[in-house]
Amino acid sequence: MSTLKILRDLFRYNGEFAIGLVLVLVVLAVAVCSFFSPYPPMDVYVVPPDVPPSWEYPLGTTSRGQDVFWQLTFAIRNTLLFGIVVAVLSRIISLAVGLISGYKGGWVDRVLMSINDTFVVIPLFPILVLFYFIMRDQMSWVMLAVITALLGWAYDARLIRSIAMSLRTREFTRQAVFSGMGTGKIVLQEHLPFVLPIVFSTTMNNINWSIGIEVTLSVLGFTDINTPTIGGMIYWANQHTALVSGIWWWITFPVVLVIMLFIGLFLLAISMNEYIDPRSRLSRLGGQA
Amino acid sequence: MITELRPIPPSVELKAPQTAPLLTVDRLKAYYKTQLFGVDREVRAVDDVSLKINRNEIYGLAGESSSGKSSLIKTIAGAIRPPFRVVEGSVRFNFKDGERDIYKLSPQELSAIRWSHLSYIMQGSMSVLNPVRRIKHAFADFALPHVSVKGADFTRLVERHLKRVHLDPAVLQAYPHELSGGMRQRVTIALATVCSPEFIIADEPTTALDVIVQKGVLSMVREIQQELGSSVLFVTHDMAVHANLTDRLGIMYAGRLVEEGRTRDVFKKPLHPYTAHLISSLPRIGDEAPKKGLEGSPPSLADPPSGCRFHPRCPLAIDICHREAPQMVEILPGHRAACHVAQADPTRVEAVA
Repeated sequence: MSTLKILRDLFRYNGEFAIGLVLVLVVLAVAVCSFFSPYPPMDVYVVPPDVPPSWEYPLGTTSRGQDVFWQLTFAIRNTLLFGIVVAVLSRIISLAVGLISGYKGGWVDRVLMSINDTFVVIPLFPILVLFYFIMRDQMSWVMLAVITALLGWAYDARLIRSIAMSLRTREFTRQAVFSGMGTGKIVLQEHLPFVLPIVFSTTMNNINWSIGIEVTLSVLGFTDINTPTIGGMIYWANQHTALVSGIWWWITFPVVLVIMLFIGLFLLAISMNEYIDPRSRLSRLGGQA
Repeated sequence: MITELRPIPPSVELKAPQTAPLLTVDRLKAYYKTQLFGVDREVRAVDDVSLKINRNEIYGLAGESSSGKSSLIKTIAGAIRPPFRVVEGSVRFNFKDGERDIYKLSPQELSAIRWSHLSYIMQGSMSVLNPVRRIKHAFADFALPHVSVKGADFTRLVERHLKRVHLDPAVLQAYPHELSGGMRQRVTIALATVCSPEFIIADEPTTALDVIVQKGVLSMVREIQQELGSSVLFVTHDMAVHANLTDRLGIMYAGRLVEEGRTRDVFKKPLHPYTAHLISSLPRIGDEAPKKGLEGSPPSLADPPSGCRFHPRCPLAIDICHREAPQMVEILPGHRAACHVAQADPTRVEAVA
């Protein structure tokens, strides 16, 4: 069954997938709009401040004289990009660590897993705040993404390792060893296809998790606040006491959009699980999977 | 289980006998050695085994579970990993392009003889194919590095081989789960023989198949063997398969080879009491007498009995059996056994069962 057909069937028969896909597509559409923005993202006082939602400014304007809608398009694009970069980087680490440690076993496994467990128990938030205070002005968006990725791979590496350990004892692995395939080839050609569906599913969760981290940090002002992000918008709204002065649209729309993204990704992740699990897959797709 | 098979002519008598054996296993000892929490354990899975396998013959290896069959063939294939290691002895192959001692080769040299000279059909070979990869990828992954041709030539080679073993080349596009159990087994055997190896090790390739499919697989093994002129080491605990397929038969008990001879001779006139019991336990059509089982169970290989390892269960055991391990001795022409009693008087063993 081709990938397109799988997606079509999932959309038809799996409610979670359909809702999740629609939500994520809406968010993506908003992000794509940023390329058509009439205003540069960093500029302030380009529109009259504190205008409530109207036909001219559909989501209103901020106290800093920015159009909330166009500001939001940049914010969600950066936030989403942040999530994806973190997810991709941390997936690479967790795949490498998980597959190699699960396949190799022995001392390689012990060393990698003790590093892994260290990362599992490290208190994440204080570390990130600490990084912000050490780096201060050098704390760019890329830097934060790399640091978050370095802190976000450990749980999934353990998951992947558990699968690799069971794959190691399967006959085709023994056959591969007998035919003289090296570790790299066995891991990449024989084992990677097994873990990919799970990696897809954890990617969504990881995007969610890293966006959560980013929003939390920027709401508190622990990031580069000049790059527009969802958290950054909320930070500026708080700085201007938007809720007290009744500028609710400044804080509501970013929150609603990021919640849509959360729910969309979460639904995609669980429907991916649904697809990976053969039992539920059979019942959903009428036994033709 | 008696498998009804059309009689397959033994190949040894068809072809001119070859003098130099293809495989010589000499006094091989391979133990599982572990050190856990300061406790040394030694499981003597292969203990002092010597055997020779000629060119162009099917050698059967029989024995119950945990008798060391799989360990022996893993050692022969050079596919062992710690804690299992060879303690003593040698495994020598006399391939067409020269003699090789498996345990004196570098990893590269070992890898080079695999598939092209020495091939291994693994136990549970139903799952040898990776379920998420197409069959053609299995061929490319496992066999491609061992042949000189690449690309389209390789595909042609594989297709020709599949046709030769009566498989539709269309299976190359399939995933393993799309094939039936018998087909998968045949694909696995085709995969192991695609490079025309001189020596094929088959570890219970017919277990878990029903007798009809078994028959197909067995005649496929025989056909390939005759076409390639290679030797097959065929391991199974199913004596009916041995009776139908193998030219010579070795019986293992508790990590040792206890009897070896032409299959017909071993079945007709067993020289070791264990073999005698094994054969008398096979059901025969029309025989309604209840079968008597052998007392006791196979010994632990971590702590084997002294002397002959079979003596605690042997109805013929005499004094010397407790003290001295019998050597494999040729008692009748081409028929060896490790039994003190049989070495003194071969007729006594026949009467035992």
